[in-house]
Amino acid sequence: MNGIMNTTVCSVARPLHKSALVAGLLLCLIVTATGCGRTPAASFRLNMVEATKQRLTTEQEKQVATVLLAMFGTPDEPVCLPETGLDEAKLRLSAGPVRSDIVGRKNGLYREHCAHCHGVTGDALGPTAAFLNPYPRDYRPGVFKFKSTERADKPTHADLVRVLHNGIPGTSMPSFALLSAAQVDALAEYVKYLSIRGETELALMRAFFELDDDALGKLPESREFLVDETLAPIAEKWKTAADAQIAVPPMPTGIDLVASIAKGKELFYGDKANCVKCHGVTGLGDGQANDYDDWNKAIVEINKEITSGSEKARETSTSGMSAEDLDEHRKQIAWLAKFDNVLDGDALRPRTIPPRNLRHGIYRGGRRPLDLYYRIHAGINGAPMPAAKGTVPPEDIWHIVNYIRSLPYELDGELGADKPMLARDRF
Amino acid sequence: MPTALSLTQRISALFSPAVVRPTLIAVSIFASPLVGSADEWGTIKGRFKFGGTAPKQADLKADKDPEVCGKHKLLAEELVVAEDGGVANVVVFVRDKSVKVHPDLAAGKNEKVVLDNKDCRFEPHVAVVQTGQQLVLKNSDTVGHNSNVATVKNPPSNSLIPAAGESTITFQSDEAIPAQVTCNIHPWMKSWIVVRSNPYAAVSKADGSFELKNVPAGDLELQFWHEKAGYLGEMTIGGKSEKVAKGRKKVKVAAGDNDLGELVLDASLFSK
Repeated sequence: MNGIMNTTVCSVARPLHKSALVAGLLLCLIVTATGCGRTPAASFRLNMVEATKQRLTTEQEKQVATVLLAMFGTPDEPVCLPETGLDEAKLRLSAGPVRSDIVGRKNGLYREHCAHCHGVTGDALGPTAAFLNPYPRDYRPGVFKFKSTERADKPTHADLVRVLHNGIPGTSMPSFALLSAAQVDALAEYVKYLSIRGETELALMRAFFELDDDALGKLPESREFLVDETLAPIAEKWKTAADAQIAVPPMPTGIDLVASIAKGKELFYGDKANCVKCHGVTGLGDGQANDYDDWNKAIVEINKEITSGSEKARETSTSGMSAEDLDEHRKQIAWLAKFDNVLDGDALRPRTIPPRNLRHGIYRGGRRPLDLYYRIHAGINGAPMPAAKGTVPPEDIWHIVNYIRSLPYELDGELGADKPMLARDRF
Repeated sequence: MPTALSLTQRISALFSPAVVRPTLIAVSIFASPLVGSADEWGTIKGRFKFGGTAPKQADLKADKDPEVCGKHKLLAEELVVAEDGGVANVVVFVRDKSVKVHPDLAAGKNEKVVLDNKDCRFEPHVAVVQTGQQLVLKNSDTVGHNSNVATVKNPPSNSLIPAAGESTITFQSDEAIPAQVTCNIHPWMKSWIVVRSNPYAAVSKADGSFELKNVPAGDLELQFWHEKAGYLGEMTIGGKSEKVAKGRKKVKVAAGDNDLGELVLDASLFSK
């Protein structure tokens, strides 16, 4: 409503010559208080890849969109139910177009700093996303890699703040250390908001499949289903993330660093920790080159389904087909075409995920020994890296950490060179 | 109260604090649990048969750990059809989560289910596990594996399973669709786990036969799934072709044996 009115006012004031221009500018200045000159009202994009995958009807897509709007509001006017545990004041600081509020405080932080890569919806489909390698994180599945919690658990608020503060070395994610602590805090809260929203959307879309036949393809319109059964369990994991922090024993004492590194090397190549299988005998990350992370794998699998589905549809002869089968055949063709179209706009070309080259000395999740401990202990959620927890005892994990930290500086080592080689000369 | 509210009005009313919401307790009071008339139990049997000429299982290339994995003849297992047409690895389960459980089956939950990494493949290819039951991810090989368990409703996991090692996991929730288990070290290794909250799930054997023992007599809904075909949309039973939307089929279970006979799955279901 507001948006429509602004457009009308602005188009009436469209300048035709100089005096009209002045008058137009004046008019715009006057109505700025009510929002003239603002970007058009932003809206969240529906997760069309999942909606199409689940074969939702237009009515079902509409039901999901309506529920999400009521539960989470819009990118300009976010709302949150108490069950989310989110702080609406922080969300308001991050949301909306870039502007100053009444006390001169910067608002619209997410759109200023994040949306061009991560997208307004947090779907990693911002305008710059396709040009980045690795692609920016899609928040909607609620999966984050660099954190202090167990593999399947959510990152803590402090984990998100750390990533914002430090950036992610080796990727396009910059450091936001120049923002104030309150601003970074507000952005971390907003990332959680987009994740909880995205996870709720996925859960709603997947819930259609399990409906009873007599539900007429509609999700129950009750708070019990929408909030207690769907939103609350998702939000609960975010609220309790700090309880899932990995208990890290101190680095073993009584062993000198050289001995610890030697032990770590043995473990790295050994059958138990098995790091060598993916990170390669050279440690250059060249052991396993054809795997995908979960985000890309999902698209690879859908592509396969569309390709083979299209082949099958082409080979199917419609002559002599019953009316019912013909109808189904046409629906299938329409679905394949829709999916192809959806992928064009809502998915980036899948890329494989190379195991980390450990001789660069660049650690995406942070360079502290503790960060490397977390990665080895819990594995990396969303990525192929498995958890050593339960298989490799904590003190052995520490030895591996020490070995990995020595790799960029190892002289000849496993590269088999005759002469000592400096890290910088290898690349 | 207005009679015809729009979708938007109905939904936003749910989240508006000013509105006093009618509670839905009444619904749950009147929803009767699915219970057989008396304590009568039946066994459902059947045999899946491939309709058409089955494709040959493709050879897999063991390009990781070739000195160990290369020794075994590895075949793709996404569609395994016996010489006489029996389709293996078709999943059959009772859809109702609150189905009454036969007392003899209740104890089965305490037994461990083993998913073994053996000869650079998973054994079995499809494993059935109940919520709360222990799933042991085992490694009988001389090389290290990992088991990447891609559950959706349960927290996913990915543990290293060293040679002769094992790792145990349990699930809190059932899964709407069987979850894939893969090994990231040996990318050809794939298997599935079916997570249900009751013991009424079975996987067809190499000859295509399956059996669900001691299900409560009465009306039941079965669900059929195969990794290549997804939820089976169609099958021919007793020479009659039946559409089974989302793989759901209603059956009437009598006390004693209930043989569904041959369930023919057309080749076109598997060309997805």
